[in-house]
Amino acid sequence: MAQIQERGSTHVYKVNKISKEEMESMVERCVYEHPPFCSAACPLKLDARAFLEAAAAGNFKKALQLYEKIAPFPLVLAMGCEAPCEQKCRIGEIGDAVQIRAVEEAVSRFGQVQKLGSIFRTRKKKSVVLFGSGLFALFLAGEIEKKAYPLTVFCEESDLESFLHTETGFLDEDAFRAELKRLKGKDIQFAFGCTIDRAFFEEKRAAFDVVCASPAVRKKVFPDAVSIPALMYCENEKLVSGPYAGVMDAAFGAKKAALTVDRLAQNLDPRNTRGQEGPVESALYTDLSEAMALTKTPVSSAGYTKEEAIEEASRCIQCRCEECLKSCAYLAHYKKHPGLFAKEIYNNTQIIMGDHQLNKPMNSCALCGQCTVVCPNGVDMARVCLDARRNMVSTDKMPLAPHEFALLDMLFSNDEAFLSRTQPGFESCKYVFFPGCQASAIAPETVKAAYLDLCERLDGGVALMLGCCGAIGDWAGRTELEAQTKEFLDRELSKLGDPIVIAGCPTCKKELQSHEGLRIIGIWDVLLKIGLPEGGHGLERPAALHDSCGARGDKSTQSAIRELAQKLDCTLVDTPYSGDRSPCCGYGGLSAYANREVAKELTDKCLERSDAPYISYCMACRDRFAREGRESKHILELIYGTDAGAPPDISEKRYNRLTLKKELRWELWQEETKEMKLDYDLRYTEEARRMMDERMILTDDVIAVMDEVRKTGACIFDEESGLYIACRRIGNATFWVKFSREGDESYLVHRAWSHRMQVVKREG
Amino acid sequence: MAEKNYYTIDPEGKLKCMKCGVPLIKGKAKFMYLDNGFPVELPVCPVCGFVYVPEELALGKVASVERALEDK
Ligand code: SF4
Ligand code: SF4
Ligand code: SF4
Ligand SMILES: [Zn+2]
Repeated sequence: MAQIQERGSTHVYKVNKISKEEMESMVERCVYEHPPFCSAACPLKLDARAFLEAAAAGNFKKALQLYEKIAPFPLVLAMGCEAPCEQKCRIGEIGDAVQIRAVEEAVSRFGQVQKLGSIFRTRKKKSVVLFGSGLFALFLAGEIEKKAYPLTVFCEESDLESFLHTETGFLDEDAFRAELKRLKGKDIQFAFGCTIDRAFFEEKRAAFDVVCASPAVRKKVFPDAVSIPALMYCENEKLVSGPYAGVMDAAFGAKKAALTVDRLAQNLDPRNTRGQEGPVESALYTDLSEAMALTKTPVSSAGYTKEEAIEEASRCIQCRCEECLKSCAYLAHYKKHPGLFAKEIYNNTQIIMGDHQLNKPMNSCALCGQCTVVCPNGVDMARVCLDARRNMVSTDKMPLAPHEFALLDMLFSNDEAFLSRTQPGFESCKYVFFPGCQASAIAPETVKAAYLDLCERLDGGVALMLGCCGAIGDWAGRTELEAQTKEFLDRELSKLGDPIVIAGCPTCKKELQSHEGLRIIGIWDVLLKIGLPEGGHGLERPAALHDSCGARGDKSTQSAIRELAQKLDCTLVDTPYSGDRSPCCGYGGLSAYANREVAKELTDKCLERSDAPYISYCMACRDRFAREGRESKHILELIYGTDAGAPPDISEKRYNRLTLKKELRWELWQEETKEMKLDYDLRYTEEARRMMDERMILTDDVIAVMDEVRKTGACIFDEESGLYIACRRIGNATFWVKFSREGDESYLVHRAWSHRMQVVKREG
Repeated sequence: MAEKNYYTIDPEGKLKCMKCGVPLIKGKAKFMYLDNGFPVELPVCPVCGFVYVPEELALGKVASVERALEDK
């Protein structure tokens, strides 16, 4: 029996770098974390998407909290803002932009004002002074107070009301009252009625660590001062100040100025570590196909009512790029967008000591390539996950356990179950039919019918090759195994006279395409050319056609299958995500071996597209859909009028391959196979059979255990259950069988289990 | 100092080695995987040394330690 060497130790300390640049370019391509267009355009970086989401939900409290993050005086900003966000709103491209400013105004009016515990909070040590009044000064005072610097304001106005009045004439009475209340609640010292000239300024500033002034005061005191616009700072005068032209400029200026104050207070250069300030371009992608309400809610002069604001906020489509997460069940399962996921998976490969927590996730991807097609930027998670797997294998960090069964199955296909013969009567052949390992495992009768048909109707001889194309080794990241398989197949093909391969499976077709000098066509191409055999017919009911992920990007295969379906009189229903956008059935990438749950979710996602029966052209798809209880047919079953029936379990899949080989050898080449009959009677309870399938235990494994018991007599008797228990180490696992004796030469298997750890008796 | 055992099962005389015809007893054993070892106490045949790993142990503790080591 074939074996694969388990890695020797967990103590292997090497790391084979996969290109960091490549990973980074993939990460950068994903625009998931880009800001929505509205936020990108806002100089103050309001999280407008979250703000509108809260407002739409009627949660004005939360909406106001978000808005207050950028606006210490929300009504002043909301009522005066020029709203650059609205210019960039995505739905503005196909209808009216969301009236963000008007919603902000309503939220500021109706939202609950936060109680600030300003009296009890700890203030910072350094003190700040601000001379003057007006919008810039007002906003700056608010920002500095928010940063908890003790702030003193010297202004010419006689009281707080007049201070607030300056340059805020656009506020109505209610708004003014509300903002006055807010201002009163702030922890700011005011000195009113000051005459601010150079002498006054110099006298007062000495007592403070950082000095700020309104644009008007600056002009008066230092008419020649040069301000650095990015910092709102006059370096020579050591004065924070800034010019402005409108409400938004004042607010943005105040924001920059406040950061400068912060840096100066810490004796740091105000130029450094400022982060990205101001509006940016966003490369976010948003699907507009579901945008509904394209007309804005009309605004009266009094602004929106609460209800109107909710209605308008609800028009926001919450711009997000989630194309891949919407279509791929694997990504949806882990709730991670590829930009983040790729980085984590890359990091996983770089861990030398410690837990590789991303092993399971990286092994769960179906490597199907759907994401690359649906992503507006072609992000390729299959590449990321496959590179990661290869890297883990090459550094001896990859566990064998998740893939061992599949890899052994591949070796089985190309060993015990392998068959390569020229058509009887031919020395070498023009063609070779390569149905693929899954076809022989799941629908042996169909394979037989197809082969006989091809032999009969094609000239030049059709050889037969039953085996695995090597995709399994590829998916597992085992490049050596893949290369060995390739060499092996090439050798066998040359013995047949290097025929043209007629692939029965799109994944085989794709995998074999990597062989140099090999010509490959699909059986679907051949059947279109020579016509359908007698006796085939479509399904009675309309059916959904599921495109195989192996045929992604292979338009000619996709359309050939559709043509065949038409010739069979099938009525096909339209499904979302078909053709190149098709999801994987869950077999791809060995997903089903590494993570059953994800694989099932992938299958469900396929089936969710339609209630109709499914027609597929990959046997693995056919099998997985049938397993979920859906009426499921491979197109070859329809063409040849065969019925593969209920999905086989893992042992039956092996048995089917051996039996097909045996039958064909006998019927076509008159070769006899040594009968491998057991010389005792071995049966299984239904529960045992189900358990074995779930636990990946083959009847062959059980037979090996029983052979051993019969030979050595080593087993134990469990009084409690009245059953016998035996075990045997096979390859990298120990298999246990619990059985009863039903007579001298007859056994009934009740339970079976296995573990990979080795157990030995310890002395002492 | 008492030595640490990761797991202990006592067969309580309910299991019998068919080859040696004696009951299994609680004995010292060791699990080995990927170059790591764990001492345990399991039902062992005092004559031939057969060590029994019950289903619950194999699918429970053993499986979870396997998973953890595999991802090291
Ligand atoms: S589709 Fe997915 S991978 Fe592509 S940009 Fe959008 S979130 Fe990122
Ligand atoms: S639709 Fe919403 S999230 Fe998108 S740009 Fe407009 S306001 Fe922003
Ligand atoms: S399962 Fe397919 S669509 Fe999803 S991430 Fe992997 S390759 Fe992309
Ligand atoms: Zn014994």
